Amino acid sequence: MSSLQELSHRHEDEARLAESETVPRGAPILELRGLQKKYGLVEALKPATITFLAGEIHAIVGENGAGKSTLIKLLTGVIRRTAGEVLWCGRPVQLSTPNEAISRGINAVHQEVVLCPHLSVAANMFLGDEMNRNGLMRKGAMERAAQAALDDLGFQLPAAAVLGSLTIGQQQLVATARAAMRGIRFLIFDEPTAYLTRQESAQLFRLIRRLREEGVTIVYISHRMEEVFELADRVSVLRDGTHVGTRLIGETNENELIALMINRSIEQIYHKEKVAAGDVIVETRGLSGPGFTDVSLSVRSGEIVGLYGLIGAGRSEFALGLYGRQPVTAGEIFWDGRKVDIANERAAMELGIALAPESRRDQGLCLNLPIGLNINLPVFRRLSSGPVIRRRDEAENADRQIRNLAIKTPSRAVLASAMSGGNQQKIVIGKWLSHGARLFIFDEPTVGVDVGTKAEIYRLFGELLKQGAGIILISSYLPEVYELSDRLHVFRGGRLVASHDYRAASHEDVLTQAIGA
Amino acid sequence: MSVETTAESAPAPKKGTNILLGLTLLGLLLALWLALGLATHAFWSPNNISNLLRQGAMTAILAVGQTFVIITAGIDLSVGAIVGFTSVIVAWLLQAGVPLWLSIVLTLLIGVAIGAFHGFGIVRMGLPPFIITLATLTSLRGIGLLITNGSTISISHEGFTDFSRADFLGVPSLFWMVILVAIPAFVFLHLSRFGRYLFAVGSNAEAARLSGVNVNRTIYLAYILSAACAALVGVLLASRIGIGNATQAEGWELQAIASSVIGGTSLFGAVGSVHGPLLGAFILATINNGANLLNVNSFWQRIITGLLIIVIVYFDQLRRRGSR
Repeated sequence: MSSLQELSHRHEDEARLAESETVPRGAPILELRGLQKKYGLVEALKPATITFLAGEIHAIVGENGAGKSTLIKLLTGVIRRTAGEVLWCGRPVQLSTPNEAISRGINAVHQEVVLCPHLSVAANMFLGDEMNRNGLMRKGAMERAAQAALDDLGFQLPAAAVLGSLTIGQQQLVATARAAMRGIRFLIFDEPTAYLTRQESAQLFRLIRRLREEGVTIVYISHRMEEVFELADRVSVLRDGTHVGTRLIGETNENELIALMINRSIEQIYHKEKVAAGDVIVETRGLSGPGFTDVSLSVRSGEIVGLYGLIGAGRSEFALGLYGRQPVTAGEIFWDGRKVDIANERAAMELGIALAPESRRDQGLCLNLPIGLNINLPVFRRLSSGPVIRRRDEAENADRQIRNLAIKTPSRAVLASAMSGGNQQKIVIGKWLSHGARLFIFDEPTVGVDVGTKAEIYRLFGELLKQGAGIILISSYLPEVYELSDRLHVFRGGRLVASHDYRAASHEDVLTQAIGA
Repeated sequence: MSVETTAESAPAPKKGTNILLGLTLLGLLLALWLALGLATHAFWSPNNISNLLRQGAMTAILAVGQTFVIITAGIDLSVGAIVGFTSVIVAWLLQAGVPLWLSIVLTLLIGVAIGAFHGFGIVRMGLPPFIITLATLTSLRGIGLLITNGSTISISHEGFTDFSRADFLGVPSLFWMVILVAIPAFVFLHLSRFGRYLFAVGSNAEAARLSGVNVNRTIYLAYILSAACAALVGVLLASRIGIGNATQAEGWELQAIASSVIGGTSLFGAVGSVHGPLLGAFILATINNGANLLNVNSFWQRIITGLLIIVIVYFDQLRRRGSR
């Protein structure tokens, strides 16, 4: 047995359970029959009948709000179903608590890392399930076991390292290792590659395929079509809480899936608005600061300048320097041909720069405050007469942005935390639309955002360009930045290493420049 | 694509929660007054009600200032010490012959200075609010005792000491001070952009900063307002008891925090109001007053206060979580 399997069968009862509930490869291991979840009158998941087979990689695709999270929560015992049946290895089960799911070997790796950054990797992997002898933890043994498991999985991570010192991508891998260690019968991945580098994604895929060889069923949820087609055996589509179909990967294509998801075609998604480029809005010459060195580029009105690179290549750091959040140590910035000094964020805003930052949660939103307050935050001065806010203008401004961006909320008083990823991103963007900026910096605007919202955001880019704005688009998702940029700059190690005109280089060239291979 | 039937559509807005809690607290306050009125004849005497309003007034003003700070996800442990200290300062100034208006202004300015010091410690030195205000808590008492040499300064200025005993339109002047503070506080917190900035900083300082909010200035403002409220209470206390003594107002910071929390303010920041802490302060004052009248052991008062905090905050949390 691999060290992973040894770890997951540490508990006798789990081992026994695992032996008694086995199903041959290819046979149904988890069957949902009319599984439904209602919150009051709202049907988060309409009666769904889906069968998961043992040893398959089953992808699930669908827009945000389509019911994917609800499905995951039902399967992992976080919420209880309103109606329907769930059969595990042919027998009806409740799955009413997370522990029940875990004891059967059903585990999930979530989009956001929910571990303890102050503890070590090994401690996190064994959290809640520590090795004990007579009440004392066997730290040495746990560390060794954790390291063995990580090596077994092919993740090059030190088990003794403090989790918070790793990159987000690496932390995701630890979360994956933890889940794989718990119960490897049924593993659900929710947008696992959002924060992973290309290498880490490759490691993850190797692990997923290996688990499949060992008979584990993988449920893979992702917005990235190319990953779905690379990995999955079958794919199910959810739309508006309904299960609209399941296909064998070989018998379908991206167009059909997208059509099932949103009733729109792929050509309409990467909609490149051809706008005549105007004057140069901003130019940087030899700009350096924390995390970036000697960056020279310019942005004209009506154009999208793309910054591509791996995570940590210095693009976000450059953006924060331009925005006045971080001090610039060398170089110059020219705005409309005039040399300027951007001392802080307010100075940047006054010039006409807007920043939609990389992390919605940490930098973009005040999650426990209402959507309306978030949207109005940059423009409250304009909405006030003296010290007092003009309430009607405040309400109108928020409502207008909610309408403009089609943010799905019954009112502006709802807290931002209640929104899905795509809607949250719209709030982040909506903040800046009434500000009247001329340069928009979008840092990873479509991470964790569903296809339909992505298309809306791209269309919004087009409208901003038509109004004469310039856009800096920072993205680690090559198809996106490749299709949309009029000029594409590649960053590596804090420097701008290459520049290309629209689609002038190949995907491979750009990738090579980013990796530095 | 339909909007209304979207699966993970948002739950109902939570604006109503604040009002609901306010009504509950008001109801509790009135219920207490009724119950105490029935339990003892002494409660509804004009003298007693005046006393209650006067005592509650000082906690209420402290609680409002404290709330501003807590909304920014900070805390101000020094307000009790500021009250004691500033009561000494104003007494000292009056005894030195400084005109009344100037004495009061100078005392309030000292409050502002202390608040600015807190802001400096938090913003420039990066100290946690708990730590910097704890430092002030301990050292201000020391400075006050040094100035007075441990003794008491009596205030012979009759106009000053009469103020706290006076009534205006039948209501104690001290209570009018609450209104004088509450109205601008309400405008500030709920109707002005500076109030919104307080909430934003308490919710996510980085996001607020990237949205153009001057986070540093907002933090300075919160602590200055809290200390200024405490200085005002120091002046009122000196007026009430007619002396300046550095050991006064011991533990008042905890009363202020308790009032604020009972009033629905979240210690995690970004949740709070003006009416909440006011109601909380008067509920505590009522319990205090009622317990005295009924000759309940003062130790019981503390227990009741503690229980009240748990009960109210627990139900408030349930209500917030329930509407998600």
